[in-house]
Amino acid sequence: MTLFEFALHNLRQRPARSLLTAMAVALGVAAAVALTGIASGFEASWQKANDARGTDLIVTRLASTNAMPSPFRAEPLQNQLRGYPKVRDVVGLLSEMLSVDASAPPLFVFGWTHDSYLWQHLKLVAGRWPANADEPVVVIGVVTAELLHKKVGDMLEIEGRRMPVVGVFESSAAIENGAVLMTLDQAQQTTDKPGKVNVLNVKLDPAATTTDVDAIKARIRVEMPGFIAITSGELVGQNTVVRIAKAMSNATTLIASLVGILIVFNTMLMSVNERTREIGILLALGWHRRTVIQLVCGEAALLTLAGGIAGVLVGVGLTWQLEHLDLLRGKIDANFPLSFLLMMPILAMLVGVCGGLYPAMKASRLAPSHALRQE
Amino acid sequence: MTQLNLEQGCLPGTSGSTPIFRAEGLALHFDDGRTRALDGIDIEVDEGEFVAIVGASGCGKSTLLNLIGALDTPTTGERYFRDRPYSAMKDLADFRRQHIGFVFQSFHLIPTLGVLDNVLVPTIGAQGPAAGYRERALELLERLGLADRLRHFPATLSGGERQRAAIARALINAPDLLLADEPTGSLDSANAAQVLDLLSEVRRERGLTIIMVTHDAGVSSRADRLVPLRDGKLDQSAEVAR
Repeated sequence: MTLFEFALHNLRQRPARSLLTAMAVALGVAAAVALTGIASGFEASWQKANDARGTDLIVTRLASTNAMPSPFRAEPLQNQLRGYPKVRDVVGLLSEMLSVDASAPPLFVFGWTHDSYLWQHLKLVAGRWPANADEPVVVIGVVTAELLHKKVGDMLEIEGRRMPVVGVFESSAAIENGAVLMTLDQAQQTTDKPGKVNVLNVKLDPAATTTDVDAIKARIRVEMPGFIAITSGELVGQNTVVRIAKAMSNATTLIASLVGILIVFNTMLMSVNERTREIGILLALGWHRRTVIQLVCGEAALLTLAGGIAGVLVGVGLTWQLEHLDLLRGKIDANFPLSFLLMMPILAMLVGVCGGLYPAMKASRLAPSHALRQE
Repeated sequence: MTQLNLEQGCLPGTSGSTPIFRAEGLALHFDDGRTRALDGIDIEVDEGEFVAIVGASGCGKSTLLNLIGALDTPTTGERYFRDRPYSAMKDLADFRRQHIGFVFQSFHLIPTLGVLDNVLVPTIGAQGPAAGYRERALELLERLGLADRLRHFPATLSGGERQRAAIARALINAPDLLLADEPTGSLDSANAAQVLDLLSEVRRERGLTIIMVTHDAGVSSRADRLVPLRDGKLDQSAEVAR
């Protein structure tokens, strides 16, 4: 019999307590996995959407870190930027989270300059694109179509304005699949923000180097006070929503770890107190104190490892369920890097060892002769 | 016939060679010295000897056995194993594992483990091949008549079988010194006789030294020598060597 087998055997002897402890750990891990997966997916989805559009630089308000930066008048900056070397195109984008249908949750509504490069990464699966900038029509993502049960020819009411659906598209970015798209002019009219955009998308010459990008960024900072040019990665990184989501997932992981330590501490302390005589026997039979510590910490680590593995599975499953809720469909695209999924059970094991350490030390310090007299 | 060494106040062994265990001035006090569990014990036990520590209940027999087995630390005095002082030993757990086998009155088997696993418990975490220990445990259990009880839990065994399992566990690491604390105290006379026969056989076969605590005159009659204790002190006037 090995120490591992003995530890496993001891856990099996108290099935209800072991199961409850593992379940508590699993719940904590599941919450941390789900939140981290959603936060990571949210960030990745925004990044993917920006990358898919082929934008090299995004010009936005300097202080803006919101998911949708506050709008500004596009024309003066747009004209100025078009005169910069290596700049091939400058396209305005207006986005809002709007109520599209009384029975449906709010959706992202994007307005893009008609005939700009932004439309090129989308794949039309039904209908057509808006014919011109002034046509009051919308195209919808595949998830939006499914969610709202709309098809080409149906009407959508956006902010009290009825507009026909003329096309359904598919994007590589989940956030766009769950959105409604119209021309920039129509979006400005719908939201009552004429001439305004949230960001300007700048496309550079393919030959532009990093030095060119840095030079443009520096020039914008000097020549356009109050504005900043950043890459899509930087924009996503600075995004308040992404940062809050990340902070929440980190806080959840931390709280789950602390709660896990306390739960394991309580379970193992109870177990050690009940097994005083058994531990005395082990010490009398020549067990080292460090072997007793290894046994108790090993039991704690096995418990939390089981909870950690179950928690990862539950967390991934829970997130999958959330992704398919009508309220969140198309808005979250959870992302679970393999390294993160592997790290969680290891973190859970560490939690187990931390929680089991004091009970293990207490057990190892028992005087064998005294412990043997315990009933 | 062993003579008392009255000059030194010490109970010597029988052979005159280096004793396997020796204690000098052993004392164990509690409550800042107000309670004296043991006081001024000098004793020697020779290799291969079978010594019975006898005395009334509460006279300090088990306490002395615990000190010999390094389960307790004396307040004063020194213990020697083959002339090596316990205080010089780096690791008393290693010492217990390598040299001492314990048999307790209430068996102290782990109730959730089967007989074979109970016998293997002292080998967990020890150096050495697991297969070797298992083979040795099976041999011992076969020898002690428990070959058909390998998977049985202690609660399903008779008292005699439990004590035989405990003896097998005590012998798994091939100890030099077997310490038995009232090994027949929880057994009926037939099982007690069987266990004592077994201990005698094992001692003969393996050249084992046995120190046994008992208050039963019938049991102590099996020993080579009686070491009587009274109120935590050696009762030298009553020491008997056979």
